[in-house]
Amino acid sequence: MAASTSRPLEYLEGLPGTTFYKLYQQPSTALAIFRRMLPDLAKCFVMALLYLKDPLPTADLELWVQSESKKQRDNAISILARLHILSKTRTGDNVLAYMVTNPFASSLRQALVGSEDSQSFGVFSQIPGESQVSVADLDDYARQQWEGVMGYMVGTSAFSGQRELNLSKGVKQLLQAGHLVEIRDRRVDITKDGFGFVLQDVNTQVWHILILYVESAEAIGMDSVEVLSFLFLLSSLELGQSYEKKHLTSNQLRTLADLADFGIVYQDTPEATRFYPTRLATTLTSDSSALNNPITGSLTGPAGESGGSGSGFIIVETNYRLYAYTSSPLQISLISLFTNLKYRFPNLVTGKITRQSVRRAIEIGITAEQIISYLHSHAHPQLRKHNAGHATSNAGGIPPSVLPPTVTDQIRLWQLERDRLRATAGFLFKDFTSLAEYQAPCQYAAEIGVLVWKSDKKRMFFVTRHEQVAAFLRSRNQQ
Amino acid sequence: MNSVDASEHYDLGTTDLAPSLLTIVFDTNPHAWAALNQSLPLSNAVANLLVFINAHLACNYANEVAVVASHSQKAAWLYPSQHDTPSTTTADRDGDVAMNGSTPAQTNKYRPFRIVEEQVTKNLKDLMDSTSSDDLRGNTSTMLAGALTLALSHINRRTIAWAEEHGGADLEDAAAEGGGGSGGPTSGAGRHSAANEDERLQSRILIVSVSGSGDSAHQYIPVMNGIFACQRLQIPIDVCKISGDAVFLQQACDATKGVYMALSEPRGLLQYLMMAFLPDQRSRRHLVLPTRVDVDFRAACFCHRRVVDVGYVCSICLSIFCEPPPNNECLTCGTILDIGDYGAKPALIPRKKKKKKRVNGTSAAGTPMSTPTPGP
Repeated sequence: MAASTSRPLEYLEGLPGTTFYKLYQQPSTALAIFRRMLPDLAKCFVMALLYLKDPLPTADLELWVQSESKKQRDNAISILARLHILSKTRTGDNVLAYMVTNPFASSLRQALVGSEDSQSFGVFSQIPGESQVSVADLDDYARQQWEGVMGYMVGTSAFSGQRELNLSKGVKQLLQAGHLVEIRDRRVDITKDGFGFVLQDVNTQVWHILILYVESAEAIGMDSVEVLSFLFLLSSLELGQSYEKKHLTSNQLRTLADLADFGIVYQDTPEATRFYPTRLATTLTSDSSALNNPITGSLTGPAGESGGSGSGFIIVETNYRLYAYTSSPLQISLISLFTNLKYRFPNLVTGKITRQSVRRAIEIGITAEQIISYLHSHAHPQLRKHNAGHATSNAGGIPPSVLPPTVTDQIRLWQLERDRLRATAGFLFKDFTSLAEYQAPCQYAAEIGVLVWKSDKKRMFFVTRHEQVAAFLRSRNQQ
Repeated sequence: MNSVDASEHYDLGTTDLAPSLLTIVFDTNPHAWAALNQSLPLSNAVANLLVFINAHLACNYANEVAVVASHSQKAAWLYPSQHDTPSTTTADRDGDVAMNGSTPAQTNKYRPFRIVEEQVTKNLKDLMDSTSSDDLRGNTSTMLAGALTLALSHINRRTIAWAEEHGGADLEDAAAEGGGGSGGPTSGAGRHSAANEDERLQSRILIVSVSGSGDSAHQYIPVMNGIFACQRLQIPIDVCKISGDAVFLQQACDATKGVYMALSEPRGLLQYLMMAFLPDQRSRRHLVLPTRVDVDFRAACFCHRRVVDVGYVCSICLSIFCEPPPNNECLTCGTILDIGDYGAKPALIPRKKKKKKRVNGTSAAGTPMSTPTPGP
């Protein structure tokens, strides 16, 4: 869903330009942002411009893109501009041209060539004799910690017992500060946001938590830039390797300790001289599909029999029946949020998705998209295989869906029954003197994908973000 | 109002898209590189290529790369290493295990980049060291066919492995149907493959070529077979031609819808690579790519491996000959061909002329005639 990419992106966009300047000093940050935040086409632009001596005239860039893909081009350029990666300059003969801005360009080049001694990608621990922690152990640790956090939110720890173990106060405070849970007379209540949160895939969840962490870092006296660039550093480390702690600053050490509570990094004891990134950290900058299998599988699947290719465990039939091969109390309580559970066996629960159960879920703030994406990301391999093989039926550009289309459509329809108003924060442009003056910026807004609503009669339109439209209007006025 | 839904618009690019596998066939023909030494020494070219590989790996966490050297007497893997100690066979792509002991704690480089770089330079050095001057004396060509075949088999293996890992559609079905559907895009099979295209591992081949065409003519048949296999599997072949001009590689790009570029300024190799060859199949849909209009479609004859403009074609198996085969017997299928009095030269020349005239005649006369046919 949109959340998986846009959440970190939105946060970064909100940062002031100077923060970007500081962030892009680190090659690892430049690389991580390049890899994670940009659409394909934007990556092509950056790479093409990276080793060019002179800025590339805008007209040339426009020629390079096919005329039908104007929308994608404008979107790519707009994201690049918002992340302060691409800037417009004028060349010697006064032609508008694009160039990659400097701290980013030099850092990315450094990341690719690896010239200077920046230690931007961590320092291996070289203690001989000590046994390394295996990847399986790291995965185990990550899963245990992450499930602990989820369990705490959903409140399963009450009946699963052993999960309560080592959730630190910092974690609980962070969840509370992020309005994911509320604490009322010592009882933990999950909020609407929290419901949305637990149904997302792991990668999105980790990002969500990390951004909350960065936001709260300022409050406890840490520099958010330092924390952010440390997170990006973590994401470029190697799974199964240990890294030296002595090169880290005190703030970074503090971050490290907090992240260990979430299972994002592992250290033997808080005083240990080295740490291991877990899979949660090393897959931060991958697309969700890349990490789908190893960690989500082991995280969400039944704890005992994880491994192999069994990434999903849910089967949904066209008659709305749902079979989930799990014994995890967390997963069962998640599924029960939107399903009427019927039977429970040692390794299987079955139930039915009904109008009533979906409405109940929607009333507590879960959206249809969240339900569908949850089902989709946990779909049983059998379901995936079956439906991918029979994709011929829904032809013409629609990607084959893993879930039965009737079920997904119906869940959406059930939501629509309730959901008739939607609020969008944004900006209204009005009082245009002529139709032509109105049409051009309106069309431009539609092209860059920020237009929400327009009325030709009233000469008004509404956009989600105004900076580029305003810049467009200014540049028109100058002409 | 779906078209103006901003949220839908934003996540177009990065969610749940298959990574791409770039296989580079690197022509290491020592003769050709020696000739190029003035403008682009081999070491510079390798450095540029490594930056390009890093850029490719940087684009997506799961992107993969493979490098095959097409040397003068053999084709060899540069990355991933194939001749490792048995302990590393399980981690065949990363080759992590082998590197751990020897690598110092060098940290100013992203680790996957470093691994590729170390292996490629090491294997390339080994390859060069193992080349004796005897190997080079009589041999000025490059083993393009072998390298292409290695690349294809690697792609095939990775594609199947990837599809298994991700529980995607049955790959062989998709590939077979995709190939069959290429003729008629409206058929059901064609649509099926189009729907699955984004879910497959996106593979492409980049040939960095320095040898001239005359040398590779003797590999005409295996190279063309490789090209046809790529065409069928929908794997684009990109060609970055640093020197010389290879006839068959133009056809390769043309047949597989790849990018062909002959570098006019070899020193700018990196920029050429970054601009023209980095975009993967998905991005290419949005870009205007350098393609070649005047493709050289000449073929090499089966008897002497000469590149021919006009030749003889066996009417049964379509083998090409530069001159009538001995005993009028096709060298490939053994059919006895009835060539008539081919030996009589004066009789041949007027026939050729006549054929040309007729071709011209039909096209000139055909234009007015053919206009009504496209109507329905």
